[in-house]
Amino acid sequence: MTLFTIFLLACITFLTRYLFLHPGLPVKLGAKARHFLSFSAPAVLTAIWLPIILVHDHKLNISLHNPYLVAATLAVMLSAKTKSVYLTVGIGVLVFVLLKFII
Amino acid sequence: MSDLKRNAALKMAQKGFLDMLPLNLAVIPWGILCGSLAIQRDFSVLEAVLMSALVFAGAVQLVTVELIAIDAPLMTILFTAFIISSRHFLYGLALRDKIKTLPLPWRLSSGFLLTDESFALSGHAKAFRGKLQLVYAISAGGSFYIGWLIYSIIGIIAGSYLPDLTQLGLDFAIAATFIALVVPTINNLPTLVAVISAGLFSVLFHLLQWQLALVAASLLAMSAGYLTSRAQQRRKIKQAYKQQLNKESGK
Repeated sequence: MTLFTIFLLACITFLTRYLFLHPGLPVKLGAKARHFLSFSAPAVLTAIWLPIILVHDHKLNISLHNPYLVAATLAVMLSAKTKSVYLTVGIGVLVFVLLKFII
Repeated sequence: MSDLKRNAALKMAQKGFLDMLPLNLAVIPWGILCGSLAIQRDFSVLEAVLMSALVFAGAVQLVTVELIAIDAPLMTILFTAFIISSRHFLYGLALRDKIKTLPLPWRLSSGFLLTDESFALSGHAKAFRGKLQLVYAISAGGSFYIGWLIYSIIGIIAGSYLPDLTQLGLDFAIAATFIALVVPTINNLPTLVAVISAGLFSVLFHLLQWQLALVAASLLAMSAGYLTSRAQQRRKIKQAYKQQLNKESGK
């Protein structure tokens, strides 16, 4: 039964990924639509990462005792300064782990 | 000639692999978590492996493993997976014009490998257009898939010896990765507006516990970015028009 569920789940994730790549689909994107879609990466990724930092147990957690917030602030500054994925993720995670022990 | 071509393809594959490498490393804890959670929630080894090999989606896997473990109704499980996965519709739309003309096997593999991480890289000029760029994209996406499988299997093997990892804050690595992908791309006002509105709306909707929080926030943020950019364009046109008028009246 679980195998069957896993198979259906695979169909769903694949469908959501593949659907609009299919040429047979009657969707034509004009210049405006493409311009609108050009904001999808920063928009979706930020809509994913900020709640991870700020929302815990359905509550807003804005305080210096929130290791997510402190480490993420540092990561944002590092990324703006260096643009390096290695430095941002490496130092960000390191600081986060240290803070988890301290706080 | 064909040697030259092969060399060029090899170089592209290498570049795709290297560009993906930091994301591939950052996802290690998350992959181990997904693998070990399945084992800890009484999935068989085969089921746990297939979960990562076929579903290949961290957030969907985490949530549905928990739902399957508590015997939630099938429709609830599928619907939840659909909601979480629906952001991929946006990615597919954004990449549609680049990918829809490719032959079927390339299209299917690009689709299968389309994740948050590979989409973030796909803005890269080297991704998708032309044969070599395709090699780049598949190498980047494919190495991420293989990494995901390996980390999950490590989690599956270690699963019964590991403590429950869900409360350890492993999701911070995901957040840090996305920060590293987004922040350097903020180089104009419309993108900044899109990023800030995405964050604000998404936090608000998550607090309200809306199921569609992610997609709704993204759509609103994209609209905000788009409108800002249009307003900027209109202002530029107006200014140019005014200058033109001044010039003509000055004659």
